[in-house]
Amino acid sequence: MTTAEEAVSLLKNKLGSKVIEFETPKPRRAYVLMKSGYHRDAISLLLEKFDETGVSTITGTDLGSEIELNYHIRCRGPVITIKNRVPKEKPEIMTITDLMPGAALYEREVFDLLGVVFQGHPDLKRLVLSDDWPEGSYPLRKDWDPQILEESVHNPNERSSIVNGGEIEGATSSVVTVVMGPQHPALHEPERFSFKIDGEVVVDVEPRLGYVHRGIEKAAERLMFFQDVYLVERICGICNAAHTVCFSQAVESIGNTETPSRARYLRTIVHELNRIHSHLLLLGVAGLELGYEPLFQYVWRDREPVLDTIEVITGNRILTAFNTIGGVRRDLKPGIPEKIKRTMNRLKKKMKFYKNVFEEDPTVRLRTKEVGILKPSSAKKLCVVGPVARGSGISMDIRRDDAYAAYDEIPFNVVTYKDCDSWARLMVRVEEIVESIDIINYALDHIPGGPYRVKVPRRQPEGEAVSRVEAPRGELIHYVKSDGSAYPYRVKVRSPTLANIISFREIIRGSYVADIPAALISLDPCFSCTDRMTFVDVNNGRKWHWNLSDIKRLKKRS
Amino acid sequence: MPIDLFFFLRVLVFPGFVFLLAFSLFCDWFERKVRARMQNRMGPSYTGPMGLLQPIADYIKLLTKEDIIPAQATRLLFTVAPVLAVSLFVFTFYYIPIDGLNIIPNSSFEGDLILVLVLITIAEFTMFLSGWSSTNPYSGIGATRVLTQFLGYDIPLIVFAIGPAFLSGSLSISTIATKQTLPFVALTPWTFILMVITLQAELGKDPFDIPHAETEIVAGYTTEFSGRKLAFIEIAKDIQVVLGAALVTVLFLGGPYGPVLFGSSAVWYTFWFIVKVLAVIFLLEYVGSVAARLRIDQVVRANWRLMMPISLLALALTIVCEPLLGPLIG
Amino acid sequence: MANKLRLPTMIREIASSLLKRPFTRKYPKVKVAVPEGFRGRHILYTERCISCGLCERDCPANAIKMVETADKRLPVFYLDLCIFCFQCADSCPRNAIEPSTLFEMASTKKEELILKPKVLISSYKNLLKGDDKNDA
Repeated sequence: MTTAEEAVSLLKNKLGSKVIEFETPKPRRAYVLMKSGYHRDAISLLLEKFDETGVSTITGTDLGSEIELNYHIRCRGPVITIKNRVPKEKPEIMTITDLMPGAALYEREVFDLLGVVFQGHPDLKRLVLSDDWPEGSYPLRKDWDPQILEESVHNPNERSSIVNGGEIEGATSSVVTVVMGPQHPALHEPERFSFKIDGEVVVDVEPRLGYVHRGIEKAAERLMFFQDVYLVERICGICNAAHTVCFSQAVESIGNTETPSRARYLRTIVHELNRIHSHLLLLGVAGLELGYEPLFQYVWRDREPVLDTIEVITGNRILTAFNTIGGVRRDLKPGIPEKIKRTMNRLKKKMKFYKNVFEEDPTVRLRTKEVGILKPSSAKKLCVVGPVARGSGISMDIRRDDAYAAYDEIPFNVVTYKDCDSWARLMVRVEEIVESIDIINYALDHIPGGPYRVKVPRRQPEGEAVSRVEAPRGELIHYVKSDGSAYPYRVKVRSPTLANIISFREIIRGSYVADIPAALISLDPCFSCTDRMTFVDVNNGRKWHWNLSDIKRLKKRS
Repeated sequence: MPIDLFFFLRVLVFPGFVFLLAFSLFCDWFERKVRARMQNRMGPSYTGPMGLLQPIADYIKLLTKEDIIPAQATRLLFTVAPVLAVSLFVFTFYYIPIDGLNIIPNSSFEGDLILVLVLITIAEFTMFLSGWSSTNPYSGIGATRVLTQFLGYDIPLIVFAIGPAFLSGSLSISTIATKQTLPFVALTPWTFILMVITLQAELGKDPFDIPHAETEIVAGYTTEFSGRKLAFIEIAKDIQVVLGAALVTVLFLGGPYGPVLFGSSAVWYTFWFIVKVLAVIFLLEYVGSVAARLRIDQVVRANWRLMMPISLLALALTIVCEPLLGPLIG
Repeated sequence: MANKLRLPTMIREIASSLLKRPFTRKYPKVKVAVPEGFRGRHILYTERCISCGLCERDCPANAIKMVETADKRLPVFYLDLCIFCFQCADSCPRNAIEPSTLFEMASTKKEELILKPKVLISSYKNLLKGDDKNDA
């Protein structure tokens, strides 16, 4: 496995003068500042030399007169951040989508929110902001003023190509466009998919994100570091523990805080409980989408003890608020570990039953086998993460490759399946639940004593850090940059569903319309994780003005 | 001709219209309770004792909602189709002996089995029309799926219905019912089970749930309906379930005829009828719960490649066994 | 097609579920006890409060305001803004804020969701008596 040192020395050897400066603060993290325009050379070099390389995300930061673009490239374990700076008056840079097709959505996001134009991008459109957002207004720039939203004029009669779900155009040709969403019973969160359908076969799909965009990255700059933990937790209800672990780790990395050993074990336990409940949720929902309601009710019934366990440990069933900068907020009371073990062992027996159902039930197999195939080569090119990648045979798991919390001391297996279809992706999750139960039992047996929290100053020193965790849906990456005050300069979150949604097109092309729910649910899309950027949720002219004044009313009161 | 009060009471109250309505609502409650218990949860429990008033509460709620007709829908068909569906289903019930006699006494005739099967098809067709007249793409897709599934599985249904007719030598439902000294389910169990499965497809229950699959096409053919019209469609669906179960009861379980322990035979016949229909509904729910939903192409393939040939085989088997079973038939 | 094959696991499970007690309970007639440590409604020990205002400064949701009362400045909690993280409890140097297990706080008036000092004192006493109404 490569280390960051090796990657940086390779870049230095081959590209010599183009490297301006570099840093390797941790064994698996490196930050390399390249001369403007030479990022492609660095990235293609890393691609050909190290296998399992992919782009995790692209962060844009407003540095005043320049915009800095960080390309976070993962080489299995380490993350090499290639930095490149462009002037603000003319923010243009070459695209990397020909080297890595998976970067398409990330470049669109930076274009949408910071105004950087990626030359050569096949489809540079808005990603998260609404279609009627005023032109030239880039929310993540430091000089952006929300007043501009009040002043811009909106003509509700001027509708762009947004259609209200259900319209079928092109009735004369054999290919029809059917729009699904943003309101649709099959979707648990709003998103719009435009399917091009020929008869009963899907020819193409175009997802439109951004319906639950809330402005979390910008809001995070207005709260202090320890308050941001609560904000970050609310990016997604289901994988909230993963977000807090990731963010806390990033800030601890910046301040060089040593998290106590007991805290790391406790973090692991709650993190794994979170994973179990998320996977059970998805298995139940998959049952519902397949029309198998008893399965849904049984799985969610067996999820209840997990939520009760989380409640006993952290004080709430879903939003745990357990982690903070410097450790965890509560300790395990005596007598709790035995209760947890009992619940986990009971759940393990139940999981045998569910594994049997998913493996042997004929109707489930009819609906999910050979449905939604994602070949391993496409999976690598599109840089997918999590159970979607593991269901196509790619063995990537951050808990093993880039160990964090207590995972370097706990033995466990990484579950992969070679079948590449929806069934494989569901089975990966079934077996991961069993693995998580084993991890929790091991952690409870080996948890060390000592403090569970260290005090951390409000101000963090200047610096930046990249932190990755294995959220239930895949690789979650946070990038935090501090300028020496108590408030972060930039917080960037890339959640796993954004990485996986780009594979939806590959998966669904050539399948039947009736397979859409089964394929979509195996991706485990969590759109509240996916869109989390600027302030106001824009629907149409009038409603959105109401939202803004309503927020102002709230501001005045408090 | 003197107008008979007795006649009107029979047609309108018992065992006529009011009884049918109340019985359908009761069967709706029973279905929901059974399904809930199979899923390890409570089911309706809050409205009325044990939740018995839940279906009535649902209908009252529907009646208080606004009745919207989409601008592009064909008004006449959109308004009339739900009412037509209910009327046809209720009318079909008039040929099923509930308390030993048909609702209109002495109205049964040779061939009313065929009439019942035809009426069921036409009534389902009006449900399709209700979806088609909505001019909403989701309703259109739902309606065509209903038709594909229904018409496909109608043929095996008719073939299975011929079995008891053949065994009892008559095409009159009342005669088929009276001839069952031993219920036909004991004589030809294969036809019974297959008919129950085909009935799942006719009624649109799991695993043939496609027309009602809300996760794919919103609400299928009922998407555009609200208020009173939706109440009619829901009642039509409920009565359809009871009608299907009642048909299976008279063809295979001996209809309302059972031991009369004391008192009036009409009361006991109604009692046995209710018990048998509930048993069939329980079976329908159970078969529906153990399977996921099949795709539309899998449903169609299952029909033409499996159900059709098997139905003909079952009929052939019944015909072959008839000489052996002859003495057991009353 | 496949609906003819045997489905042993689910068939047995569904049949046995019919005989089991339902897992769901008839709330609100039947209530479940919440574990201690649950982050429910706040309890303020006014005698311990030193009016430092750290809770107001550290609240991520801006849900606390210090107000003048007869003796000293005390915090007022806006429950409709509060996210129940209890960072205020962590920040308080005198442990004057604690979570209780009360969670049935829904009300039809916004005024009832503002926990004022008088409320907090009296409702703390009511907690000991076992009354869980959100009286203003």
